[in-house]
Amino acid sequence: MTDKLKSTLWPLSIGVLTLLIWQLGGFHALLDLKPFQLPVPTGIASTLAQNLTKALRDCGITVSGAIVGMIIGSSIGFLIAVVATVFPKWGYGGLTVVSAFNAIPIVALSPIMNRWFSTGMGQKIGVVTVVTMAAMAINAYRGLTDLKPFSLDLMKSYAANRRTVFFRLRLPNCLPSVFTALKINITSSMIAAIVSEYFATSTSGLGFGIKDNLRKAEMAMGWSYITIAALAGIVLYLIISMVERRAVKWHASQRIK
Amino acid sequence: MKKYLSLLLCMALFLSLALAGCGSNGDTAASGSSTAGSSASTSGSSESTASTAAPDKITLQLKWLPQSQFMGYYVAQEKGYYKEQGIDIEILPGGSDIIPEQQVYNGVADIGVTWVSSLMKYQGQGWDLVETAQIFQKSALLLVSKTKAGIKTPADLKGKKVGSWFGGNEYELYAMIESAGLNRDKDLKLVQQDYTMDQLINDEIEAASAMTYNEYGLLLESGIPEAELSKLDMNEHNVAMLEDCLFVNSEWLAKNEDVFVRFLKASIKGWEEACKDPEAAGNIVFNVDKSVSLEHQVYMAKEVAKLVVPEGFDAAKIGYIDNKAIQQTADYALKYGLLTKAADISKCVNSKYWEQAAAK
Repeated sequence: MTDKLKSTLWPLSIGVLTLLIWQLGGFHALLDLKPFQLPVPTGIASTLAQNLTKALRDCGITVSGAIVGMIIGSSIGFLIAVVATVFPKWGYGGLTVVSAFNAIPIVALSPIMNRWFSTGMGQKIGVVTVVTMAAMAINAYRGLTDLKPFSLDLMKSYAANRRTVFFRLRLPNCLPSVFTALKINITSSMIAAIVSEYFATSTSGLGFGIKDNLRKAEMAMGWSYITIAALAGIVLYLIISMVERRAVKWHASQRIK
Repeated sequence: MKKYLSLLLCMALFLSLALAGCGSNGDTAASGSSTAGSSASTSGSSESTASTAAPDKITLQLKWLPQSQFMGYYVAQEKGYYKEQGIDIEILPGGSDIIPEQQVYNGVADIGVTWVSSLMKYQGQGWDLVETAQIFQKSALLLVSKTKAGIKTPADLKGKKVGSWFGGNEYELYAMIESAGLNRDKDLKLVQQDYTMDQLINDEIEAASAMTYNEYGLLLESGIPEAELSKLDMNEHNVAMLEDCLFVNSEWLAKNEDVFVRFLKASIKGWEEACKDPEAAGNIVFNVDKSVSLEHQVYMAKEVAKLVVPEGFDAAKIGYIDNKAIQQTADYALKYGLLTKAADISKCVNSKYWEQAAAK
């Protein structure tokens, strides 16, 4: 219990201290900034309170785009991994292509998606889908194929067919990797959704809010959006972690020390 | 043994690098002195500058890419007007993520070009920036649509998809929308416009922001006949706010008054010449940056000349700050909710340096 208390108290006190230094102008003195360049936490909080409904609406738009895109992208990635496992000869090529997709910058993807989709939501989902495919495909493929040698031998000695091997051995074995991929994807999907909004035609969402407000000297409003984006990212990550803890209790990384 | 050998190799490498560094330093020092010498000799031949000291370095931050919108500065650079004034100018191109107000305030650039409405917004937030010359005397912003969309007056914008670049470029548009009694959040859909005119050409939006000197020309060049386009001009609908002006950080200005006046002198001379012969100015800009065609640069130069020296405006007064127009910009900015409190234009603007520079 004391250990648990310590492990939450320390990060918390460091966080509070950081906010305090920020509020009292420590960072401003250190980095030679004026409060109108980097607003103080209370200024950001009060601006956020005044514009909460708009900020939350924008947050909802970005988060829903990120989640839908991540679900589609991760599903496609997983399917590719399955195909690569079941048909290793030509399926592996698909993995290579997907990894190549990962190298396309969002700056380049957004205009393409703008042409394909007339709505801001479609564009966002399209960008997030492409960005999240690769991490899932590669991780899931590893989980599906990286089996303990004896386990495969054991299945063979039971005369298990490929179908049984897949559902009884490969699928459970890949769960930890899938969750690793989901954790990577939930953060990258938020980033991708926000950055895609910089280039979107739509004028809603956190990304547009951050870019537009920072450009026209509404720094406190811009930072309110940044705060909301950070909070949303953390909450989404925590949700995935919680699901992971329930789904793969048996895995070494989840055992209580 | 092996250890010593690698150590020795490392030392040898380090030594050779250090030597190379010294060598190149020596080279630049030598070339630096030779250019200083040549500039001294040129300034000696022209009588305008008495000082034979090294030229003052000035950095100018443009609002956008190198194009004829800024031809005055490029002409002055090309013709050596800055050099005559003992100024070594560096012109920094702008871009979608480069904000002149922040660049100048942070000291990345000494002088900046921006729109007055956008500058007022920064000044209102406490940024210690001051406008010192007004290059464009008129607004160049248009709201362009295809005639088939039937947008003849601002009120026709109701229910339409309208494009803007945002980030400080939307204020005149807001004023136009609200002056027509429309609510910009409810009565129409504002859309973020990219830097091409494709959205309008492909009918994804019904009305698009366009500068007379740039995007409108792009539309014509794309093959749409002028008869099929209708435009709402900010000047005609009494919502015009001033655009391209020169501004500086007040603190910097206090220490560099003399250099700044010399910069203004050279810039005004450059603009005068550019507006007299826009075709040549367009050529000069094209040679600096070939990102768009020569035809487009020349088109832009001609349109920009009409903004810098509008009909009936004395070309000797280029850069003149018309306090009435500034006040109008400030009033509209307040009226249409861009500023939360009235701007004190006596603090936003300082004509003193322009008056010194323009006095012959």
